[in-house]
Amino acid sequence: MTTLVIMLGYMGLLLVLGLITQRLLRVTAGDYFLASRGIGPFMLLMSLFGTTMTAFALIGSTGETFERGIGVYGLMASWSGIVHSACFFLIGARVWWYGKRYGYLTQIAFFRERYQSDLLGLLLFVLVSGFVLIYILMGVIGAGRVLNILTQEAFPMSDQITRVPFRGDVGRVTIPPQWRDRIQLDAEAGELVLRGSLGARRRGELMRWSDQPEWHAAVDELFRRAPNGGLPYQWGTGLVCLVVLFYVFTGGMRATAWANTLQTVFFMLAGVVTFVVIMRGLGGAEEATSRVLATPHAAARMAREGLIGRLEFTTYCFIPLSVAMFPHLFQHWLTARRAETFKLPVVAHPICIMITWLPCVLIGMWAAAVLPESTPRNAVLPAMIFRFATPVLAGVLGAGILAAIMSSMDSQFLCLSSMFSNDIVGHYIRKERISDRTRVYLGRLFVTLLVLAAWLIGLWAPAPVFPLGVWCFTGFAALFPLAAAAIYWPRSNKYGAIACVLTVAALWLYWLDDALAAARAGHAFLIAGMMPVTAVLAAAAVALVVVSLLTPAPPRELVQRFFSPELATPPRD
Amino acid sequence: MCRVVTALLVALAVLHQDFWWWDSRAVVLGFLPVGLAWHALVSLAAGLLWYLATLYCWPSILTVDPLSGLDRTTEQPETGEVNG
Repeated sequence: MTTLVIMLGYMGLLLVLGLITQRLLRVTAGDYFLASRGIGPFMLLMSLFGTTMTAFALIGSTGETFERGIGVYGLMASWSGIVHSACFFLIGARVWWYGKRYGYLTQIAFFRERYQSDLLGLLLFVLVSGFVLIYILMGVIGAGRVLNILTQEAFPMSDQITRVPFRGDVGRVTIPPQWRDRIQLDAEAGELVLRGSLGARRRGELMRWSDQPEWHAAVDELFRRAPNGGLPYQWGTGLVCLVVLFYVFTGGMRATAWANTLQTVFFMLAGVVTFVVIMRGLGGAEEATSRVLATPHAAARMAREGLIGRLEFTTYCFIPLSVAMFPHLFQHWLTARRAETFKLPVVAHPICIMITWLPCVLIGMWAAAVLPESTPRNAVLPAMIFRFATPVLAGVLGAGILAAIMSSMDSQFLCLSSMFSNDIVGHYIRKERISDRTRVYLGRLFVTLLVLAAWLIGLWAPAPVFPLGVWCFTGFAALFPLAAAAIYWPRSNKYGAIACVLTVAALWLYWLDDALAAARAGHAFLIAGMMPVTAVLAAAAVALVVVSLLTPAPPRELVQRFFSPELATPPRD
Repeated sequence: MCRVVTALLVALAVLHQDFWWWDSRAVVLGFLPVGLAWHALVSLAAGLLWYLATLYCWPSILTVDPLSGLDRTTEQPETGEVNG
């Protein structure tokens, strides 16, 4: 219960932050959506980094390393260090420049005006909102898992019966007297029967009751099936969604930027403390690695052979291109005070990634020698914390993980709200027919409905976080040619842009079933040994180039507006 | 100098493909698998190279104020940011 109280206390602090920033909020759309474009280098770094690091980075990376070994760092973290900064440098800073000059509030507004196409804006809105929905889903699933596992036995259930098969010798199992009212062996049915819930920390105790392999298998199965007595998954996911919705809706971008900064600093510190606690619990780093080397199935996790394909490793470089098209990151770019503000994020982002990912990957590797092989991927990090930290520390560390998850969800909620308010309601309904207040409320209603959808999907089909994230990022990354062409290729036109978006949508949906099936089966979805993003991105780029060249060139004034801005007419008010 | 920085970034992307340690379980510093240590170095090198890129490859258009059209490199820094 202590762990739960600490995590709830942390969420309470975020609610207070939302109320405080609401008092500081200026009543303009520019302040609500973009914090008056006044964010400095450190807050921009924390916002960008906090937004890109989510359940995927902490829970996903640990769980994926547990299954696929240390190569996971090379797949995502070191590639991201190179590619994310390239996107901030080559795309982000220039988008900021156009945004400040022409007054854009959202990603959709930029592309709609760059290509002078309402249809493109509408298509992008639908596609990007769908991708963000999946991104939110990752956070929802991760948060529910963390809250459930770290609060094990806080909500003991007394009436639920769990039965698992036991084929061994009943006479060779000694159940201690204090357990006999909860755990029985049904010799006739050949079943091990549990009444109530069972926390993971009891596993070692139960295993010692018999040395039969059949008993160990039955206990493993029991822990897989029985409720753990933690905060129910559906409550945890719902609670986190409500807290983030509250502070985003009360404080807008200013609250989001402050919350991102505080949460990013907090989760980085919590990450380091988690690492130290688990490392000490394992007897030190050298001892922990020695245990991995001494465990045959775990030792394989210290290399890549048989776990990750070489072509997969190389083509993973395209996945981090997704940051160029994340609408929530796009909106953070627009908040910068000036172009130079981008320099710190460009330089420090790879280092921050290393500080976060390296401990997670090491924990995942060490966990392979500690946790049962059947441990679900999403449960590896919380299970390690639960095993090695005191309840107070587990609460603090759990709050750190929630901080990482919520620091992404808040930006996603705000960006969806601003896209709907500005690019759908504001763009298609005349100003005199609807007040600004109504516009903002409609945006909030849209986000609330999407979050509700994410919550329901999360309850219905809680997929592993990492493959879900990779498929979501595949969609965003495949749209990269659109961002690059908008900024660097004057000849690109609206027909090419629309062809690019439709190609991405068609291929992403075409392979969606395969990607989800692979995620459920617990293996990577590859095409000819390569990441599918390679094919989708190449097709999108070809569609953009070929269709642009086969159709009329964009108007001269439009090209001048974006490619010779210093020569163009003065910006509008 | 910008070309040198660009070439070094391309070289870093190539060095990222450390197939030579693909199946090595060797350990450095007593606990760190060599493949993981190499990629941690790649992350550090990326930070260093992007620092050089901001020094030598910063686009000239970004030194121009988007609203006034003035070159900011000749201006005094503004005050009143949300943070420094």
